[in-house]
Amino acid sequence: MVKNPYQPINAHIVDVIDESSTIKSFVVKPDEPIPFKTGQFVELTLPGEGEAPFTPSSSPNQSDQMEITIMKAGRVTSLLHDCKKGQPVGIRGPYGNGYPVDTFTGKEVYIVGGGVGLAPIRSLLLTLIDRIKDFKRVVCRFGARTPEDFIYKDTLFGQWQKIGGLEIKLTVDKSNGQWDGNVGVVTTILKSDDVDIQNAVAVVCGPPIMMKFASMDLVEKGFKSEDIYLSMEKNMSCGIGKCGHCMLGKYYVCKDGPVFTLNQIKEYPDIWD
Amino acid sequence: METVFLSRLKPLFDVIAGQRELYIPHHEEGHFSFARYNPQLHQEIAFNELRLCQPVKQFLFPLREIAAVFPDPVESPVVKPFAVYGLKDCDLRSIQVLDKVFAEEEFCDPSYLKRREQMLIISSDCYNPAESCFCTMMDGDVFPQQGYDLNISKIKDGYIIQAGSDKGLMLLKENESLFADVPHAAILERDDNRAQARRQSEEILTDYQFDVPVNQIVNNGCESELFDNEAKGCVECQACTRICPTCHCFYLYDEKQDDYYQKMKIWDSCVRLDYATVAGGENPRKLLTNRTLHRLMHKFVFFLDRYGIQMCVGCGRCIDACAGESNIRDVLKKLYDEPKTENNQKLKNGKKSIPTD
Repeated sequence: MVKNPYQPINAHIVDVIDESSTIKSFVVKPDEPIPFKTGQFVELTLPGEGEAPFTPSSSPNQSDQMEITIMKAGRVTSLLHDCKKGQPVGIRGPYGNGYPVDTFTGKEVYIVGGGVGLAPIRSLLLTLIDRIKDFKRVVCRFGARTPEDFIYKDTLFGQWQKIGGLEIKLTVDKSNGQWDGNVGVVTTILKSDDVDIQNAVAVVCGPPIMMKFASMDLVEKGFKSEDIYLSMEKNMSCGIGKCGHCMLGKYYVCKDGPVFTLNQIKEYPDIWD
Repeated sequence: METVFLSRLKPLFDVIAGQRELYIPHHEEGHFSFARYNPQLHQEIAFNELRLCQPVKQFLFPLREIAAVFPDPVESPVVKPFAVYGLKDCDLRSIQVLDKVFAEEEFCDPSYLKRREQMLIISSDCYNPAESCFCTMMDGDVFPQQGYDLNISKIKDGYIIQAGSDKGLMLLKENESLFADVPHAAILERDDNRAQARRQSEEILTDYQFDVPVNQIVNNGCESELFDNEAKGCVECQACTRICPTCHCFYLYDEKQDDYYQKMKIWDSCVRLDYATVAGGENPRKLLTNRTLHRLMHKFVFFLDRYGIQMCVGCGRCIDACAGESNIRDVLKKLYDEPKTENNQKLKNGKKSIPTD
């Protein structure tokens, strides 16, 4: 019998973590494991209310439960923010292509992230950290509006700072007085970085405006557009390249993406809208 | 495949209606729409000389249906065998398009597959193409050559029935006693009718002669100002996408029932303002001109690129249905006639790069 692609796997929320004033992480345990590749996304259903697409922020090595980081942005995400431990939910997926991590082997991985865009990046980072020696080095340049707006603060300011081969630099748009790091949008900390461009790939995820300017700066830095990986956010609904809502030019973001190289999509002027 | 002659359709349709639900064209207020055939009612079995006004997709991809029930999944309802008569070549090609999306990919649509399996397709020749028809521009013809179980060609004294599949052949074999051999003169008459219909179609399309494939015309014209004008005339009623036999966008939404939930699937339209809007409010196609362009790019360029067949079948229903009196053939013609500037050769993107605010 053909598997019904619209049937969610039953799951429930086992933990809720406050990340910032508008962002929460939900630890979700499905009734059956949902193996996924880092960068792929799932459709999370709040029963009776609707579903929305999210890229899990946890490591793909842990398939019995996954973490989904959600910014309060629309109707479904607002209702999800009201959910407590034990709330039944549904998960469809995983969908899309994910990051081509194996092709990063031996290279510098230069990651630029902002806001809730750190969610897919966290999953990628956990994947990279598991085999950190496979990469020349992993460089992270993350931005947030204020220091309070950084998500995953515990690991970001703690454990991840101590991992050899992983270099993290943070910046905020606006300091709160106690911030001793860089102030300015994330693109302001890219220019001074020395990157072995011929042997590097870049990964960008964040708000559309940040992705736009970061991509432009990376190109200016010398990155080839086929070496810049973007995690695109469009209105992914069915997840299987049929319903049409997420079309970006000829691509179905849900199926052909959500990870695209800048080279694949740079001709489309609407990519940042 | 087997070809037989029949002087009246009723005996054959009575047999079919005894085995499955049968839908036939019903003439009403100047057009044909589908009606359930009931042998007891002495309904007129009309031979629709052109396509029905409704698209065939409603039988395979209904306006609204349950996509999933949870938390306890249930088997989707059993689909009873059914037959649809009066489909033209454009309709058959529209089924091919839907098959590509719902039946031939990594993820198939289970209810579509069930309906498709249970469907008996009875097509017929098109003898009187409408003023809005343009199938011959879109790889189609006035009579079907494939994609049917049975095809019916009307001649003066009866009907030539041709089997196009094992299912159709079986039906002819099981009811051999109803049929006679096809007189040679009947074949000649059918061929005459077909040639006449083709001439009529060519006449209708006199003003639309292009020496460039339609997908290239649209692709090259994607920066044209023409789409702004098209948008001005559009009232966003979405009739073009609803009545289009190949438009297949849908919207998923959740419903709470007494003690379970269901995920519903309903037709949607890329012309709708918030169609592509994300939760944060960004909308890549805020402007109607961009939605108009996206619809045409998908229809003529993107689909062909992905699946290798034309998505537009040239049935002309969107022309008949448009409240703003837009004519898709005129759009193609105007794009074709526009001078080819370097600019409109450059971008192949499905969106005009004009300010969005």
